[in-house]
Amino acid sequence: MNQEIQDIDFSFVLASSVHDMKNSLGMLLNTLSEVMTQYPPQDDIHAKSYAVLEYEAARINSELIQLLSLYRLEHDKVRAHIDECMVIDILSEQVARNYGLLQTRAVELVLECDETLMGYFDSDLVGGVINNILVNCARYSKHKLKLSAAQTAEGLCITIEDDGPGYPDDMLNASTFSETKASFANGLPHLGLMFANKVALMHRNKSQQGFIRLSNDSSLGGGCFRLFLP
Amino acid sequence: MPDNPYAKLQALIVDDFESFRITLSKMLQEFGIGAVDSVSSSSDALRHCNAKVYDIILCDQNLGKGKTGQQILEVLRHTPNLNSDSLFVLVSAESNKSIIMAAYDYEPDAYLTKPITGQTLGQRLERLFKQRLALAPIYKALKENQLQLAADLCEAEIQSANRYSGPCQKILGRVLLQLGQFEKAENLYRNILDVRQLDWAMLGMAQTKKLQGDSLSAQQWLEDIIQFNPLCLKAYDLLAEILAERADYHGQQKVVQQAVDISPLSILRQQALGDIGFKNNDLLTAASAYRKAVKLGENSYHDDVKFHENFAHAGIQLAKLDKNLAVPFLRDALKVVADIPNRFGKTNTSKISSYLLESQVLVVSGEERRAAESLSSAQKMMGSNESDVDLTLNIELVRALRELGNKEESEKIVAGLLEQYVDDEEQLQKIDCLLDEPCSAKNKALVAQINKNGIAFYESKDFSRAVDCFTSALHDFPQHIGLRLNLVQALMGQFKQEPGKDQLLINMQQIMEYTRKIIPDRHVQYRRFRQLEELLRGLTSAKK
Repeated sequence: MNQEIQDIDFSFVLASSVHDMKNSLGMLLNTLSEVMTQYPPQDDIHAKSYAVLEYEAARINSELIQLLSLYRLEHDKVRAHIDECMVIDILSEQVARNYGLLQTRAVELVLECDETLMGYFDSDLVGGVINNILVNCARYSKHKLKLSAAQTAEGLCITIEDDGPGYPDDMLNASTFSETKASFANGLPHLGLMFANKVALMHRNKSQQGFIRLSNDSSLGGGCFRLFLP
Repeated sequence: MPDNPYAKLQALIVDDFESFRITLSKMLQEFGIGAVDSVSSSSDALRHCNAKVYDIILCDQNLGKGKTGQQILEVLRHTPNLNSDSLFVLVSAESNKSIIMAAYDYEPDAYLTKPITGQTLGQRLERLFKQRLALAPIYKALKENQLQLAADLCEAEIQSANRYSGPCQKILGRVLLQLGQFEKAENLYRNILDVRQLDWAMLGMAQTKKLQGDSLSAQQWLEDIIQFNPLCLKAYDLLAEILAERADYHGQQKVVQQAVDISPLSILRQQALGDIGFKNNDLLTAASAYRKAVKLGENSYHDDVKFHENFAHAGIQLAKLDKNLAVPFLRDALKVVADIPNRFGKTNTSKISSYLLESQVLVVSGEERRAAESLSSAQKMMGSNESDVDLTLNIELVRALRELGNKEESEKIVAGLLEQYVDDEEQLQKIDCLLDEPCSAKNKALVAQINKNGIAFYESKDFSRAVDCFTSALHDFPQHIGLRLNLVQALMGQFKQEPGKDQLLINMQQIMEYTRKIIPDRHVQYRRFRQLEELLRGLTSAKK
């Protein structure tokens, strides 16, 4: 019996149940948005409750997706599938995905990207990174978010800025976002950044490799997340 | 909305959840699509697709019973129907696209992950319709098979360096290869690869090299792709093709096996693994792969009775090598052959074939009485439906008779067939699988060539390649005594090099045992057979 328990790959069990949870949550999110259209909020308190419900569900959803993605990056040898992409498509896709969330939280999002800007990256993985940072920023920003992209000397740079309090010092000082920095004990696993970092590292071109950079020099006065893809 | 550009469009939603169908239908109507149909099952979806042209089909991957979304797409793209080039959007709860895509051969126009919001859907649809519109002249040229026109249009589109340059490069490469303009294709792919290592361009380069006859460079490119992106299944497929052309069947099996490991749900690859495993006499691999192929065939367009029959045959051959190992396969094979008339139409041919296979499976399962019953049912039907009895059925009849030890009758039928088809080279080639010496010109030459190759390997003491050579030939000519004895001799050579490998002894004994059953006393090679038997006995007793 003991032997049997040892033989179970716990991370596999976890991944399978995460997959199920994600599916249920998908149904929950759909039902929630149906309820919200059928019964529009009557007052501010009502609207706020809806916003909380929607935000927290979206957050769980994106966390679960990341857990699954991280598991797969480790176990299934999933590699970045790099192809030519129109950057504006990937950015606006993520904005559309979070449309309801931003609206209920009354956060205005500015999208700045040249319509013809092209990049070479895995659109699913990079889309996942942007989505997660957006969901997170929606929580900390006061009124405004800015999502932008441009070609730089270090490669394509996707930037997400907010007008919140900025990233805490320990996050800014962390030189990498590898697993060792993730400590569940102090409640700061930075799962999203870990995932973002992993995805960045999977993008290589010749001698260059992708990376992420955090700072508090946002043009909106808050935190600034940058993803560089060579 | 007077200027709604989508008002005239027709959409079909396929999902087994009602709430999802309603939500999605509402979203499509808000987007502006004029008419939206919804169905809950794959059979309803295909019925609708045969009756009406849809501009776009939104289909869930997991539909419960029946076909999956991918299998619906397979049918739409593969068979003549009203929706062979409609936009197809696959919807799934699976967030990792590559995992789903790796399993199949057809790519939908778009892939959406649940949960879907009205905004996400609207945006994606707008992009799809815009691209459809922008590239309409190219698609039209392709549909009308005006390849040069399609190529010119693609080039113009690439020149203008707009957002459709990327997709046009992919189309152009394929078209150039179809047109036989290899140098142009090579330049296109090389220019892309100079900027960035992209797997589709590497694959295009490999295809170009193969078509130019440079299979070594093609192989190099393919190995690079697999290193770079191990999920690029088309690279394995092409590599397997190249190895097959080079008659490196073991290499081919290894590559097909790798592809199957990545995409176990791909029916085409399971079928291919069954075939190559069977050819290499790797019966366990063959039987397992055929079994999976049969299972996957249940809802697939690519199902074929051939693989059901081959599953039974692989099981039968496996039983001759290892009874215990074969037991579960034989049990399944009985069900599979009995089910052939249900799956492939209740015709006389399919019923007779089903009985004949059943009889053979029963013999090796040790149920000779039941086997004889099945055989006589088959013979009764063959007697009263002579017009339905073709060569294939007669070949199966000979096999069944031989399994039951009815040599006299089986050889009478063989003689009759040889007489009947004496001037028909094509049919004679089929009969050769029953003979100890091929009678068709083509196969005579083939066996001579194989023997020459095998003997050359033998003489240069490359025994394992000699073994491979004779083994794969025996798959096509299982009754050929000369090939069989050559194989034993090659195995003996190999055993002298690797005396620890007891499996080789077992292999030799099995081959000799079978040869004893089929060799006539007056066969020209009978003396050689007895000598080899003597030698093998010596090797075995030395071991003890």
